[in-house]
Amino acid sequence: MIKKMVLTLAALCLVFPAMAFADDPTAGTLNMGINSLWVMVAFVLVLLMQGGFILLETGSTRMKNAGHVAGKTIFTAGLAALIYWAVGYGFAFGADSSINGFIGFGDFLFDPSIISVDDGLPTTLFFLFQLAFAAVSLSIAWGGFAERAKLSSYFIFTIVFVGVIYPIVAHWIWGGGWLAKDGAQDFAGSTVVHLSGALAAFAATVLLKPRIGKFNKDGSANEISGHNQVFTALSVLLLWVGWFGFNAGSTLAIGDGFFGYVGFTTMLGAGAGAVAALLISWAVNGKADITTMLNGTLAGLVAITASCAFVEPWAAVVIGLVAGVLVFYSAKFFEKIKVDDPIYAMSVHGAAGIWGTLANGIFATDELAAKVGVGQGGLIDTGSWHQLGVQALSVLVCGVFVLAASFLVLFLIKVAIGFRVTEEQEIIGLDLSEHGAYGYPEQLKKGQGIQG
Amino acid sequence: MGDPVRVQLLKQIGKADNVNVLRNLRDQVHEHMKGILQMSPVEQFNEQLNELHDTLICRSIILAEAEMARLGMGSPPVPYAYLLFGSGGRLEQTLSSDQDSGIVFEDSASDSEETTAYFQQLTSIIVSMLHQSGYPLCEGNVLSNNPEWCMSLTEWKVKLNGWFGEPSWEAVRYLLILADGRSVYGDHRLAFELRDQYFNNVIEYPNITRRMLDNTMRHKVLLGLFGHLLKEQYGSDAGSLDIKYGAYIPLVNAIRLLAVQAGIRETSTLSRIRTLALHDQLPSEEAAAYEQAFLLFLRLRLMTTEQNEDGLYANNGKLSSRSLSREMTEELKSALKTGKKLQRKVFKRTTGRLM
Repeated sequence: MIKKMVLTLAALCLVFPAMAFADDPTAGTLNMGINSLWVMVAFVLVLLMQGGFILLETGSTRMKNAGHVAGKTIFTAGLAALIYWAVGYGFAFGADSSINGFIGFGDFLFDPSIISVDDGLPTTLFFLFQLAFAAVSLSIAWGGFAERAKLSSYFIFTIVFVGVIYPIVAHWIWGGGWLAKDGAQDFAGSTVVHLSGALAAFAATVLLKPRIGKFNKDGSANEISGHNQVFTALSVLLLWVGWFGFNAGSTLAIGDGFFGYVGFTTMLGAGAGAVAALLISWAVNGKADITTMLNGTLAGLVAITASCAFVEPWAAVVIGLVAGVLVFYSAKFFEKIKVDDPIYAMSVHGAAGIWGTLANGIFATDELAAKVGVGQGGLIDTGSWHQLGVQALSVLVCGVFVLAASFLVLFLIKVAIGFRVTEEQEIIGLDLSEHGAYGYPEQLKKGQGIQG
Repeated sequence: MGDPVRVQLLKQIGKADNVNVLRNLRDQVHEHMKGILQMSPVEQFNEQLNELHDTLICRSIILAEAEMARLGMGSPPVPYAYLLFGSGGRLEQTLSSDQDSGIVFEDSASDSEETTAYFQQLTSIIVSMLHQSGYPLCEGNVLSNNPEWCMSLTEWKVKLNGWFGEPSWEAVRYLLILADGRSVYGDHRLAFELRDQYFNNVIEYPNITRRMLDNTMRHKVLLGLFGHLLKEQYGSDAGSLDIKYGAYIPLVNAIRLLAVQAGIRETSTLSRIRTLALHDQLPSEEAAAYEQAFLLFLRLRLMTTEQNEDGLYANNGKLSSRSLSREMTEELKSALKTGKKLQRKVFKRTTGRLM
């Protein structure tokens, strides 16, 4: 017994010195660790934005499609992870051998080192963070598909969008591509993520044509109300919270605490968007419209996404206010040209995304541009039109590319296998036609939707 | 007044001996009046149209009485007055107004149950005849064959006191309906007595106008913050203006409230405005502006989309904004501004606060 105790103590003594005299972590390791932790947190926040998209899209559409709308978001996020791992990441950030700044190439079936090298941010975390962004852009695109696209089209479009289209734009602006070299400022993705998603949605909704019952023969529009405004409001809160990972996380470092400033301008943009949208709808329509206000909040967030690191607080407020008003008129405009945009993706992410990217060319300051290390100050700070020109070019080029590519892919889907469900299926609802079960089985009896 | 067709129609209505003839005449009235709508001054047109409606309604009542006699129910056991509410009461019926009616009969010395039963049956016949003649039923069931609106004078007074004493939202709504009540047929004295009671109660319960205000200001004028017109956003009427509830009714409501406060017993909006001015309740230039705005609303209301549903003349009160010329649009905007000003004035006068 005593022998055993002595042996144990001796063994412990052998271990103890090793613990006591192990090297302190270097400043570099600490820095790497804390940055990694922040990016991990930010990744989780951005991934959680999918919850926002589930509620946003479900709340804005009808009960008979609820299960489908919610479920497909999870499925496509899963598929996106595999596709981004297999090819998407490689096209966006692969190796150094970028071909003329047009596309990354390498790191397919991405196999990162298990730990960080050189005390930098582990590539695993960089991958996860970028993947979450790609998934957000994808979920924005689904707005144009809502309530009438076949499930198979979601499958195919995920592969092409996350595998090729999105990574190319990300490469151009963030992956050291030609627009990055030009000094295009898009801090967290007003163009890369939001405008890309919105234009894919636009291509989809144009090819699909409006939902049954959205427009009358004389061209006037009917209101197809979403089935749960509380979901929609809650979704905006979820997205709003997630956005702090999206924007502030895009610093990819704790550093000198600059991420705090980015979060700060983000908050101002969102608030201004909410207020402006509510007031404009009240002033113009005589009623303060909740849906418009929610869209305005998101539009404020989308617009400030490009500029959050480049502008002063007052400018963040102005950018948000303009976005809130813009989203109201944009929604009216799309309805007027008879484009059915059930989730308002084109107005919230498209119009506000363009505005946010251009806003850099107006409001960016030299000081902040130098701090971030991209481009230069905008019109107000420098009096020069240069940055605005760069921003306009990046919007135009990325926009045309995404629109054309998405249109092509979706058109091929339409021709080859059909894009839209049949009229009967649309009327019954996609829950039943695509999945065989309702999201709200107690509320809906099978086939009930046929009369409605 | 120099319109032989109309005079002829009035004569024929006065001689109609069954409901089919009435229906036929109603259709002729509709066609004829529609035809002269564009050329007539609106006030004159409105008067003529309402005279025709009144005559049609009176003739229906006479035919219904005869029908009762034929059924062996005899003649009315006591004198009564047939009341019109809503646009009929205000002498502002359009080409397609629905029925809002009630009846007040003298207290019977003998068998009151039998009396009530008589009027129940009579009013059922009247309402159904008018329905067959193309007058839709009131959706709120304010109809003379509804026992709640078919009572003896004493019963009416008890009911009135109850409404004034406990002005719930519903009670105030009924009081506002009653404010436009007008006797179209029968013993007008009964209706006057009922109105005496009504206006005495207004003085006795001064808080009632405050409650009436809450109820009448619900309908907002169709004018946005920037002075632009608020149009319907969605549906088959997208782009239309809700003339009835966004222009006409707000003005009618506000003027009615001023009249009730001032103890003015007129029921038509125009005579209310004129009497208010006469009694120095409104400055004459303001009154003239309200009158002008009202006549415009009346004209636009006569132009609103008509729907013929199962032979009933109906109307959704909405007017396509495309059918308005630029001058008319400007005129409408300025009239709506006048309406808004009036609403503010009524609010301030009733509550002592700014709106």
